[in-house]
Amino acid sequence: MKKLLLFVLLITVALFTVNCGGKKPKAKMEDIPEWYLNPPQAEDAIYQAGDAVKTSMALAKDAADARARDAIARTLELKVTNMMKDFMQQSGLGEDSEALEFTSNVSKQVASTVLRGCQIVKREMKTEGANYHGYSLAEYNLNSLVQETLNEARKQKALYNEAKANLSFEELEREIDKLKQVGE
Amino acid sequence: MINLTSAQEFTPSWFEQLPEIPGARLAVGYSGKYVNYNQAKAAALELARKNMTKQISVRLVFDLEELSDGRLCLLNPSFKEFISGGILQTVANNSVVIDSAITEDDYFVLLAYPAGEYQLIPGAGDKTWGIRPDWIENLPNDKGYVFGVGMVARYRSWIRAWYDADEYARFDLGKNLQIKAESVQASRRDNRTTIESVILKQTYDLTLKDVTIVARWFDIENNAYYSLSRAPRQ
Repeated sequence: MKKLLLFVLLITVALFTVNCGGKKPKAKMEDIPEWYLNPPQAEDAIYQAGDAVKTSMALAKDAADARARDAIARTLELKVTNMMKDFMQQSGLGEDSEALEFTSNVSKQVASTVLRGCQIVKREMKTEGANYHGYSLAEYNLNSLVQETLNEARKQKALYNEAKANLSFEELEREIDKLKQVGE
Repeated sequence: MINLTSAQEFTPSWFEQLPEIPGARLAVGYSGKYVNYNQAKAAALELARKNMTKQISVRLVFDLEELSDGRLCLLNPSFKEFISGGILQTVANNSVVIDSAITEDDYFVLLAYPAGEYQLIPGAGDKTWGIRPDWIENLPNDKGYVFGVGMVARYRSWIRAWYDADEYARFDLGKNLQIKAESVQASRRDNRTTIESVILKQTYDLTLKDVTIVARWFDIENNAYYSLSRAPRQ
């Protein structure tokens, strides 16, 4: 029985190894989409690419999509931190430790909250031997990001030190207007 | 009723591209080889009713976890779907088959809801698959709608393949609407190597309305099936 269990375990490990980075044909350079190597850049949106190699086409698509969206989520935290820092400095609270905590809370909350409207706008599926290599490009509208940040900042403001709670969100609102104009 | 020749080489045009009839919802159903046509039709009709019910309202729960450390990776997606028995019953009582197609191996029905007198679709005869549609690579850019794409390949059963492609298209649309994404990354470095570990988790639980499978495409050369879902943006 133990031998059988060991055998099953070894086979499972071998399968995952082959599937995830063992002996698999490498992608040909001409097969890699241009947008994967150089994701588009825009003033009003973030683009991130992801890829995955799997034996199933559906799994390759799911994994590539998930990695592209994950890259977006990680970019968001950085973007929101910068946006909040600017905003706090303009409010005259930039160096305050509570202000830094406030910034960090908002950034983390926004980055870990739901991605609304994060779409996979481009996708390519290549065959590499018996495997499928999926490439996905995710797009996230910055208008949604600023709106999410503003909502979260308003929520967090209630928890923030009351003496400093007279924050005005005009700067963030101006950011939204700016992005709306770019989008039009 | 159209009599086509063989499975998946020819299909009714409404299976590839769903038409629009004002005031009616349309959904397709399909089945494989049965002892007789009545059984095949019953199976296709049952699927069409379920598809119609999902079109009206469906709750989708998606969960994906990926653990990888550079050498091994585990991907565990989970798809759960809930439909209302009440809506299914309403659809069964108040819908009508407006067209059907038969080959030696398959049976297709086009269901309309609510029941009524609808004009037959002109030019809905047998057709081979058209050229590879652009929506497989590039999500349609229509601000009034949200889209999702489902794709599967190398299935032995074409019925299972279309069923899964349709389901994946619905779940994909949900991901494009909203999804919770969390991940933890860590790097470990020794003298020789750097190992990047990632734990990724993405989830959503949404009730979607008006999600229609509007287009399908079969890649004969690579035995791959593609479905496109669409819902009005709210």
